[in-house]
Amino acid sequence: MSSGNLAADRHVVFERDRILLTLDPAVYGLSAIQKAGYRLAKRCTLLVSATGAREIHLSLLLPAQVDEQVARGVLLEFLRELGDQQLREQVREETKGIRELVLAHAFSNTDLVSRE
Amino acid sequence: MNALKPAFSDRSAFAPSEGYRLLPFRFNRIGDRYIATNDVGEYVFLAPSELTDLVNYRLAPTLPVYRELQSRHFILEDTSRVAVDLLALKYRSRVSRVAEFTALHMFVVTLRCDHSCHYCQVSRQTEDRANFDMSREHAEQAVRMVFRSPARRLKIEFQGGEPLLNFDLIRHIVEYATLLNRDERRDLAFVIASNLSRLTDEILDFCREHRVALSTSLDGPQDLHDKQRPLRGGSSHAAALGGIERARRTLGNDAVSALMTTTPDAIERVDEIIEEYARTGFHSIFLRALSPYGFAARSLVRRYDTDDWVAFYKRGLRRVLEMNRAGFRMREEYTAILLQKIFSPTGTGYIDLQSPAGIGIAGIVYNYDGSVYASDEGRMLAEMGETQFMLGHLDKNSYEEMMTGEQLLAPLDATVLESAPRCSDCAFMPYCGADPVFHQATMGDWLGHKAFSSFCAKQTAVLEHLFELLETDPGARETMLGWI
Repeated sequence: MSSGNLAADRHVVFERDRILLTLDPAVYGLSAIQKAGYRLAKRCTLLVSATGAREIHLSLLLPAQVDEQVARGVLLEFLRELGDQQLREQVREETKGIRELVLAHAFSNTDLVSRE
Repeated sequence: MNALKPAFSDRSAFAPSEGYRLLPFRFNRIGDRYIATNDVGEYVFLAPSELTDLVNYRLAPTLPVYRELQSRHFILEDTSRVAVDLLALKYRSRVSRVAEFTALHMFVVTLRCDHSCHYCQVSRQTEDRANFDMSREHAEQAVRMVFRSPARRLKIEFQGGEPLLNFDLIRHIVEYATLLNRDERRDLAFVIASNLSRLTDEILDFCREHRVALSTSLDGPQDLHDKQRPLRGGSSHAAALGGIERARRTLGNDAVSALMTTTPDAIERVDEIIEEYARTGFHSIFLRALSPYGFAARSLVRRYDTDDWVAFYKRGLRRVLEMNRAGFRMREEYTAILLQKIFSPTGTGYIDLQSPAGIGIAGIVYNYDGSVYASDEGRMLAEMGETQFMLGHLDKNSYEEMMTGEQLLAPLDATVLESAPRCSDCAFMPYCGADPVFHQATMGDWLGHKAFSSFCAKQTAVLEHLFELLETDPGARETMLGWI
């Protein structure tokens, strides 16, 4: 399979039935990666093969041997989803405290048990 | 001696910060924009740059979207308690429905039926009353269980088979429940879900006297309806229309409603189906997908996919909106339910769109044989041998055993959207629901993998379409908001 610009990057390798991807863990968290893989499960299966302090190695297993255009489409979709998931992680982390505060406040005056 | 460590943060940690703080929200991509929603159901559309600016605290307070985000509880400018109080109050209103369980009680008074509908898995064409009718003892036990529910509003719905084949028992249940309600003082309503082929003046008089509503099936024009709903020795369509007309004369127009089911034969005929509803005097229609319960229904479901149903729904909604533009009042019920989830502070009680799931706590089924199920679909699954949604039996189990047992709590606990993979991140979560029975039937487990779930695909497609209409079509928006 020919490579194109994405594959020219040393972090991306296209193979016949998979895409190999290397990411920087300082940029992308494992949770965001796994959630992106879950969302795209219909198009590819995510395999996290190694995680280290400097690199995370991923394989996106494709359902069958596909042409370059399809594989590139899967990769772009995965990367876009990964960006969204990373942003979601950021929102979740930064709003965790206030979410708990709101929930605690919402239920602070309720009583589900009737006292007769 | 070591100095004691403070247990709480210093006051300075709670001092107002400059700029704004983020409040919890979720977002989805729709085309080239994002929709952001929060736990109280508010939504805002954002350009990609606006979303990243928002999360990175770069959003300028002078932008119109800034004020929108602030008024809809996505950002907080200071640490005053007012904004948090308001958000907490809205959240509590939104989930208050959970404490008001169980509102809908379905009584399967008989399994006998004079129809042989292709998509039905539960009816029996038999005269065997002994084996397929509910007993008076079970009926009374079930009515007593109805009043154990904390819900202030209670609805008893009679189902079958064809429930009018056991009208004597319906009469008894209505009278017994009415008697118990003199002390209970609940807001009690009755509805009979019937094909109306056995409707008599005596039944109508009783319905009028006890304010019992009727719900029937109307699948579309005569050829389509009669093909899908064969009636021995006659036309089901003619029987339904005759019954609707008589019921309207006796009970009033609003006391009769109708439901349709989308089969492969119906999938290309949505305009005709809607026009049939309008022709026969209905001002609402519920475009319902076929439920995948039972072998026959599963084989029918396989003949069209989610995309086909979504196209059917979109075409149907367009026709409904056209009718409104032309001056004929018509409402699509599934859309109305979703709009209520989006815009109403308390959401809706529609069983399939609840989190925790609606099984058992939004509705419950008392089967003809005394068994109790967490949902109507649960009893249909049981007809195929999957009895996991059976909560117990009126003869053997107490209310407490059925409502607090693992049979109910385990699927509720396992499928709460707030902790479900993908759902917990989805912007549509506040408008969606957990459906463990559907996912059990289609994917073999309560939760399902949402990337492969036709429930998720359908909800996502419908909600994206609705938001598109709300944002881009002022006429459609005005009409649809009138349905809430």
